[in-house]
Amino acid sequence: MVDITRYIPIDELCENSSIKIEVILEIVEYGIATPQSGLTLSEWVFDLESAHWIKKAIKLNREFLLDWVAISIVIDLMKEKEKLKQENDRLTSRLSRLL
Amino acid sequence: MKFKDYYKILQVSETADLKQIKKAYRKLALKFHPDTTSEADTEDKFKEVAEAYEVLKDTTKRAEYDELRRYGGSSSEGFDVPPGWQSSARHNKSEGDGHADFSDFFNSFFADRAQNNQRPQHHGSDLFKGQDLEMELPVFLEETLSSKTKAIDYHVPVYANNQIKQVQKSLKVKIPLGVSDGERIRLKGQGAPGSENKLNGDLYLLIRLVPHTLFDVQGINLILCLPLTPWEAALGTKLEIPTLNGKVKLSIPANSQSGQKLRVKGKGLKNKTSQGDLLAVIKIDIPPSTNIETKRLWSELAEAEQYNPRAEWS
Repeated sequence: MVDITRYIPIDELCENSSIKIEVILEIVEYGIATPQSGLTLSEWVFDLESAHWIKKAIKLNREFLLDWVAISIVIDLMKEKEKLKQENDRLTSRLSRLL
Repeated sequence: MKFKDYYKILQVSETADLKQIKKAYRKLALKFHPDTTSEADTEDKFKEVAEAYEVLKDTTKRAEYDELRRYGGSSSEGFDVPPGWQSSARHNKSEGDGHADFSDFFNSFFADRAQNNQRPQHHGSDLFKGQDLEMELPVFLEETLSSKTKAIDYHVPVYANNQIKQVQKSLKVKIPLGVSDGERIRLKGQGAPGSENKLNGDLYLLIRLVPHTLFDVQGINLILCLPLTPWEAALGTKLEIPTLNGKVKLSIPANSQSGQKLRVKGKGLKNKTSQGDLLAVIKIDIPPSTNIETKRLWSELAEAEQYNPRAEWS
């Protein structure tokens, strides 16, 4: 049986994805992701949803050469789009049962 | 090894300045990036564009590339390392930074000094940390009510003998109680293997709740469409309704309306701290056909009942 986790500490996130700790600090400052717990930077722990958006932000920065302000806007829109798609799928399914 | 014409790939002239190169890269990245295009098979194109940009954006690498290009870039035959060639990149081989996504040409001449310290995957003779993997895991609603063990099969890219092979792997995973759609679970060290003493990557499971034939999900509540005959809705009744774990009795009050929700407490989905409810949404279902007797009774009802549901229209 394999152990599962639902969180990732900042040091592991940095090591696993070869991200510099300062970059994560910047991403958090722009509100793209929020640590789940930890009082100091080295103690920060992220849920896997936040870790996903951190990696996405870094990809956007690297592959589209976007700055953090633009990335923050893009990610907000991506989150919103994902939420609306889920809501739309849910309502479409409900509607099909009621009609 | 095949020579790569980076200027041609980025569609810029040899005299293009950094601003023009950056502009061309952005344009092509938007065109070919798998996240921004609906066209299939653009990923290789994007990698080629990224590789070209990686070299041409760096003044030193670009100068070395121009030298290589003058040496044999126009040859249609295979490209060999020029005699006596020693790039500044190759002086620091021990600090290697090859790139799995880029061509042999790139990795032979420019990989070691690639400046991108955010790229985790390396190959060649260099040490590298294993790649993180992500896969969707379909989970039935019933399975979320308790901790279930699921067997999963997936493919892991393994680098050996200058080739990447896909190796099948099987695991048994205990899915925690109360997982929700879109949630991620991390299996530490179960991604692609790292080289030598480097760490393995992680495996991320993206939970996807399988659509149910009867129930829709709203947060931790479940929605059930409850069809009633007009007389059941008018007179009220008691009936059994399905839940995720067996049937329960439900009283339908008299004069129930279409769209009205009846709550069955504690029969929804679970999260870490609580359990949601089941909401039965009434849908009044008229019989599809009527016989003479039924028609007579409907007419009698129409005469006896003066109710006008469109009263507020007038």
